[in-house]
Amino acid sequence: MSASLAPECNEVKEQYDTCFLKWYSEKYLRGNGKTDDNECSKLFKDYQKCLKVALKERGIDKLLDEAREDNKENDALHMKRKG
Amino acid sequence: MKVFCNSHTFNYSWEEVSTANWRKYCPWNDKSTHVIAVDTLSREVDPATGILRTERLITCKQSAPDWLKSIIGGMETSQVFETSYVNPAEKTVTMVSQNITWANLVNVQETVVYKPLSASQTQFVQDARITAMCGGWQRIKNSIEDSLVTRFKENALKGKEGFECVLAMSRRVFAEERERERLRSEGKMLA
Repeated sequence: MSASLAPECNEVKEQYDTCFLKWYSEKYLRGNGKTDDNECSKLFKDYQKCLKVALKERGIDKLLDEAREDNKENDALHMKRKG
Repeated sequence: MKVFCNSHTFNYSWEEVSTANWRKYCPWNDKSTHVIAVDTLSREVDPATGILRTERLITCKQSAPDWLKSIIGGMETSQVFETSYVNPAEKTVTMVSQNITWANLVNVQETVVYKPLSASQTQFVQDARITAMCGGWQRIKNSIEDSLVTRFKENALKGKEGFECVLAMSRRVFAEERERERLRSEGKMLA
C-alpha cells in the first residue's frame, strides 16, 4: 500500500487500506457492501483522527474545503442524484 | 486552456482493474515514483444507488520546471484532491481530480473512467484540462500550460506501465490467496 503524508499515521492507514481492499473485492463488488458501517469502520475512524491533525498542521484542511466546494457539480453528475 | 487525452485497454476484467486501482501507487508500481502518499479523506456508499464515493488526497513530488519554481517559490510537494465514484450497477469507476497546490496560478482538472469492454478487458479513458490563470501574460500562460501537458504525457506513460505491474501482481497474489484457502478447506475436510 502507499504511504500516508503523515508518517505517524502510516501504521493505522496500512491496516485500514488492507481491510478496505478485502471488503471491496469480497463484499462490495459482490453486492454485499451496501452499508458504511462495516468491519473497517473502526480502523477508518482511528486513521481519520490521526490524519485530521496532520492536515490541520500543514494548512491543507482549508485548501480541501475549497476543492470540495468546486467539486459539487461533479458530485451531482456522478452520484446521479435527482433534483 | 490546453487539453490532454489518453486511452488504453487493460487485458484484465473490470473487477480486477477496479480493485487494483486502489493500490495503483503501492511499491509494486516502481514507475509512478512521483506519487509519495495517498490518503483517504472520506468514503461512503450511497444507499439509494449503491455508488461508492471516495475522497483522496494525493501527494506528489514537486515536478514544476525550475524556471517556474523560481517565479513562485520552491515547494517540495504538490497535492491533488481526487473524488472517485464506483458504480457497481453500470460497472464504471470515474475519478475526478484537481490540483490544490498553486490553485490560484493554474487549474488542472482530470477525469479518468474505467469501464468494461468485455469480460476480460477494461478500457481506461483519461482527459485533462489545464488552464493557467495569470491574467494577460500570454507567453507565461502558454509556457505553464505546455510544461504541464508534457508532464501529463510522461506520467501517463509511466502510470500505464506501473499499473500493468500492479495488475499482474494483484492477479498472482489473489490466485495464491485462493490456493491457500482451497488447501485450508481441504485440510479441514481431511482432518
